[in-house]
Amino acid sequence: MKQSLILPLLLVLVLPAVPATAQRSTEVQLGTTAEAWAKTPILVNMLDVLSGGMQAVEAADLVQEVLVSDLGLSGLFLPAMRDVEGDTLEYEFAIEGSVEGPLRDAELTGEDAPTVLNLNLVTWPGRQLLLNKRYRPLPHQQRTSAHHFADQVIEMLAGEPGICLTRVVFSRGAGDRRDLYVVDYDSEGLMRLTANRTLNLCPSWSPDGSRIAFTSYRQSGQQGLFGLDTSNGKVDLIIAVDGLNLGADWHPNGEELLVSLSHKGDPEIYRIRPDGTIIKRLTVSSAIEISPSWSPGGRDLVFTSDRTGTPQLYIIDSDGAGRRRLTFEGRYNDSAVWSPGGDRIAYATREGNFTQIVVMKATGENRRVLTDGRWRNAEDPSWARDGRHLVFASDRTGVFKLYVCDVLEMTFRQLTFGDDPDITPAWSR
Amino acid sequence: MFNRKILFALAIIMMLGLLTACGGKKDVEDDPTAAGDAGETTETLPVEPVAEPEPVPEVITPDYAAMAPAEYGVEDVFFAFDQYELDDVTMGVLSRNARVLRETDVTVLVSGHCDERGTIEYNLALGEKRAKAVKDYLVSLGVPAGRLQITSYGESKPFAMGSSEAAWAQNRRAHFERP
Repeated sequence: MKQSLILPLLLVLVLPAVPATAQRSTEVQLGTTAEAWAKTPILVNMLDVLSGGMQAVEAADLVQEVLVSDLGLSGLFLPAMRDVEGDTLEYEFAIEGSVEGPLRDAELTGEDAPTVLNLNLVTWPGRQLLLNKRYRPLPHQQRTSAHHFADQVIEMLAGEPGICLTRVVFSRGAGDRRDLYVVDYDSEGLMRLTANRTLNLCPSWSPDGSRIAFTSYRQSGQQGLFGLDTSNGKVDLIIAVDGLNLGADWHPNGEELLVSLSHKGDPEIYRIRPDGTIIKRLTVSSAIEISPSWSPGGRDLVFTSDRTGTPQLYIIDSDGAGRRRLTFEGRYNDSAVWSPGGDRIAYATREGNFTQIVVMKATGENRRVLTDGRWRNAEDPSWARDGRHLVFASDRTGVFKLYVCDVLEMTFRQLTFGDDPDITPAWSR
Repeated sequence: MFNRKILFALAIIMMLGLLTACGGKKDVEDDPTAAGDAGETTETLPVEPVAEPEPVPEVITPDYAAMAPAEYGVEDVFFAFDQYELDDVTMGVLSRNARVLRETDVTVLVSGHCDERGTIEYNLALGEKRAKAVKDYLVSLGVPAGRLQITSYGESKPFAMGSSEAAWAQNRRAHFERP
C-alpha cells in the first residue's frame, strides 16, 4: 500500500538553530536514504581513571559510551571516540574528563560507593573550557549523570532541548492484561509500572514527570482514569464516570487535564483537575469527541470528532470556542498530538485497512505521511520535547513494537523489543 | 384302598383352603368382632416396609450470577465494519436474550469490542456505541436498565487473533459477561 511520497523538496524543514560557535561542520556525509543534515563532529575522549579499581574503569567506559550514544541519537552531532589520524572530519569540540573510583571495590566493603565523575566540554584542539560538571553517582546512577551532561552539551552547542534524560511510558501486553512500562529514550532501563491484571492504556505524563495519568478498568469492568505517582508507583483514582474515561492530556501548567468522558451520552472533551473535579465541558454534540491534545501554550487544543460521519481533527480554544476543522484529507483521522514548538501536529490516518502517521503544520498545510506501506500499521504518535523525534507503534514485524522517527532526517530506530505488543506510548517532557 | 373320589374331594378342599388363605382371609366364621362386616377383614397383616413416596422435586433456580451468560442462553451479537447498528439477525438474538434476562434477576455486563483496524481510542468509542445500542434495544424489550451495565474494550481484548476477515468479524461484537 505505497503512499505517493511527497518529495523532500516540498518539505518545509528547518535546520536546527546552531549558535555561531558550533557551525562550520567541514564535511557533510550523504546517506543512501534521506539527505543528511549538517552535523557537528565532536570527540568523546576516554576518561582518565585517577583512582579506584575495576569499578572505576567500568564507570569510565560506560559514561563514554553513553555520551557517544546520546550525542549521536540527538541527530545533531557526529560523535567519535578518538581522533584517528587521516580522519577527514575536523573536530571542533571534545568531551574529556576523569573518574575517581572508590578505593575499595564494593566486593570488599559490601556496599556501593559513589564514583566522582568530572566532565569537561572543551574546544578542540585548543582545549578552551566551555562547560564543566562534577557528579558523584552511585553505580546505578552513572547513566543518568552521563545523560545529564550530554543534555547540557546539546543545549549549549546546538541551542536545542536535549532528550537524553527523557523516558517513554507505554502499554505492553495482550488479551486480558496490558500493563504500563517505562523505558529510557535509548531503550535502556525498562521498568514495569503496573501489575493489576487488567487493561492499562493511553498513559500521559504530567509536565514535571511526577505523575502518569492513564485509563484502566475496575473490578466491575467499568473504565476509570487513574494517576500513577512516578516516585513510588502508587496509583490512585482521578475520575471514573459511567462510560469512557479516556485519552488524558495534561495542561502545560500541570494543574489540569483534558479528558474524554461519555457519561452524558456520548464522549465529550472536558477540562478536569487532578482531583477529578470538572472545570469545564468543551464540546457539546451527539458525535464522538475524543483524543484531545493541548497546544504547547495551553491556549488551544486539537481533538477528534466524527460529527461529519467519520473521525476528523478539529481545533478549539480552552473555552471550547473558535472551532475550526483541520483535516480534509482522508476519511479517518485521529490521535492528534501537538508538537512542543507549536508549529506541527502529528496524527494517525486510516486508509483502507491500515493506519499511518502523518505530520502537518498546525495550520493544516504541508501534510506529509511519515510511514509508508512497509510499516503495515503505524499508530499512537507522541512527540519528544525536542520536536524532532516522534515515537509511535507499528506492527511491521507482526507484533506491535515502538519505533522512534527523526522527523527531519526521516530515519527510524526500534525502541522496544520482545514478543509482547507495545502500544500507546507517551514521551516524557 | 384309596377311593379316588375321596382324594378328589380332599384336593378340592385343599384348593379352597389355599384360595381363602391367598385371599388373605383367615377363617372368620365365628369371630365375634367381625359381626356386621360382611366379608371384611380386620386382621392386621404383617406390614411390609413400604418406601416413602418420592417427594415432588422443588424448582431449583440456577445461580445465574455465578454463570457466564452464554451458559444460560444469553448470546453475543456481531456488527459490520465501522458500524454499531443492529441488523435483523442481531435483533433476533437480542429478542431471545431479552426473554431470558426478563425471567431472571441477574445483572450482566455488555462489553463492546472492535476489530484491530483503526486507532485505539476511536475503537474504544465505537465499542461503547455498540454496547449502548445493544443495551438500548434490550431495555426497549423490557429488560430493566439497571441490570445492564456497559463498558468498552475497543480493539484491545480480541476474541480471535490474526488479520483475516474471519477474525475481524469475530471481534466486532457486543459480549455479555458477568460484571
